[in-house]
Amino acid sequence: MYFEEAIRVLLGNKARTFLTIIGLIIGVFSVISIEVLGHSMAGSIDESLGALADNSFIIFPGSFQGNFARAAMRLSDLDAIVAEIPNVTAAVPLGGMRVLMRHGHNIGNLTLFSDSSDPFAKQPLAFGRNLSPDDISGTADVGVINWKTYQRLFPQGGDPTGESLYAGPHRYVIIGVLAEPRRGALNATFGGDVSIPYTTYLRQYVRGDRIFAARFTVRSADDMSATEVAVIKKIRDLRKVGSDVRYQTFDKAQFTQGVNGIFSAVTVVVGLIGAVSLVVAGIGVMNIMLVSIAERTREIGTRKAIGARRGQILWQFLIEAALMSSLGCFIGMALGLLVGGVINDVFIVKLTGYTAPLPFVQAFLITTVFAAVVTFAFGLYPAFRAAALDPIEALRYE
Amino acid sequence: MNNDTLAIDLQRITKTYKSGSLEVPALQGVDLRIQRGEYVAIMGPSGSGKSTMMNILGCLDRPTSGTYRLDGEDVSHLDDNALAAIRLRKLGFVFQGFNLLPRTDALKNVALPLFYAGVSTRERNARATETLREVGLADRAHHKPSELSGGQQQRVAIARALVNDPAVLLADEPTGNLDTKTSADIMALIDQLHAGGRTIIMVTHDENIARNARRIVRLLDGKIVSDDALGYEKVGDANLL
Repeated sequence: MYFEEAIRVLLGNKARTFLTIIGLIIGVFSVISIEVLGHSMAGSIDESLGALADNSFIIFPGSFQGNFARAAMRLSDLDAIVAEIPNVTAAVPLGGMRVLMRHGHNIGNLTLFSDSSDPFAKQPLAFGRNLSPDDISGTADVGVINWKTYQRLFPQGGDPTGESLYAGPHRYVIIGVLAEPRRGALNATFGGDVSIPYTTYLRQYVRGDRIFAARFTVRSADDMSATEVAVIKKIRDLRKVGSDVRYQTFDKAQFTQGVNGIFSAVTVVVGLIGAVSLVVAGIGVMNIMLVSIAERTREIGTRKAIGARRGQILWQFLIEAALMSSLGCFIGMALGLLVGGVINDVFIVKLTGYTAPLPFVQAFLITTVFAAVVTFAFGLYPAFRAAALDPIEALRYE
Repeated sequence: MNNDTLAIDLQRITKTYKSGSLEVPALQGVDLRIQRGEYVAIMGPSGSGKSTMMNILGCLDRPTSGTYRLDGEDVSHLDDNALAAIRLRKLGFVFQGFNLLPRTDALKNVALPLFYAGVSTRERNARATETLREVGLADRAHHKPSELSGGQQQRVAIARALVNDPAVLLADEPTGNLDTKTSADIMALIDQLHAGGRTIIMVTHDENIARNARRIVRLLDGKIVSDDALGYEKVGDANLL
């Protein structure tokens, strides 16, 4: 009944209702469309990095320094770090080198890369499977090749799993092929051309216990940067080198910083536009509610004479304000999702090679909060005024 | 005199409006008793306290002093919400300007008091339909006020006043906005309601309209100056002044 009457009133003044909610439409539209874009940016990063990226980082010697060799880590360092730095739960040695590889008559000078069964990057497979824990523990002579390598060594196509790959004296059975990477400026690729178990790599290529780099897994991602500092300090202590020996770290935060930097400025500006237009629109809603109440003073008087209680009058006008706010906010939401989705498909996909599904739930929650805020901040006062009208005065009102 | 049969019992009612430091007396000790089933017209020139009387009878306002019993219940000192509840249960209003909700059909207009009383939709519609039939508008249930003539609109308003089966029907210049022919129709309808046992109080300044009632109470300067039974039937001992 309340809704029915509110709809009747709003439809009875279509032009007025529309003009009143334009501000809400614009405000919510801008906030939601930015939400959509931000969501797909963040989504594209999560999409290209595996779950492991959330709680692990890589440390390797800085490339530009006097004595690069002094910065090399030792395998034994890793055990010490896991044992002594509480936040580090695991460490995996990483290494890579260029080797000449052959399959049949096809030859390539390729990067061999050591990896664990839990890769940093989340890359889908075209054929076969990833490295398994059994491959690692069994130091298996197996490898996963990337798409570029697959095209180089298998120009005729077909499933290459089970085929052999030769590198000098070593032979690797291909167990998987990474799918063609997505196109997109921000879409980084990880790893080398051929990934083999790091245990196999250590056995075949590492002389003594010198390793190139390592990946560390942490218990709590919140303390990631502090842990990175602690690990580097530990390495310097163990290697007995000073701060002139440089190490670099790589983690997800560094990867997302660039993207977020561009985006946070835009978000702040659009957020401000949204907030200002919401306040202005809210004042418009309040104004039109007051006008509507003034116009309907006699009606309110009649309702009170008939026996409507204060609360019932208040409720009626609050629902009218809620309906008007919701109408504006949800039209804004629909437009925001629509335009955000189009920008996603036309522009963002070129940048990231990825389109996130539209954030319907977040958009709905944001919109509901906006509608509720406008209703209560700007609809409550007019509704109170209506409820407080004296029935005798109201009935006499011309 | 049996108090149980009294619809209205006003005892030494006064009402004083404060305007700055000035006190304006609108009613100065009014006593009035109206039996159930009576049909009374209240008359008086403007400034006589007629409107104030109507507001107090209609529980829209409280007396400054005195006691008002409506249908056996003392309503002299109730708060706003309690008065609203009394209006909802015991009173039906008919206004000069009909005061129907625009763009809302006759049925929904009539059902409005039942909505405020918390009656279910199904029962609201059933009772509103029945009441519309009583005022002869069963076939206009889904017409909006703008599609109805003045007389029909007033019938809808009367149906709205009756739908909660009130103890007293209060009509404030019910024919003030109607032509002579339509006025006669409406007065015939009110007469018919009276014949059906309704208690009716009508405020008017029109002598001819007032003559439809069975008793005329005249106010002047906030006091009852005459209280006469008319024709047809004898009105107990209500004439106390």
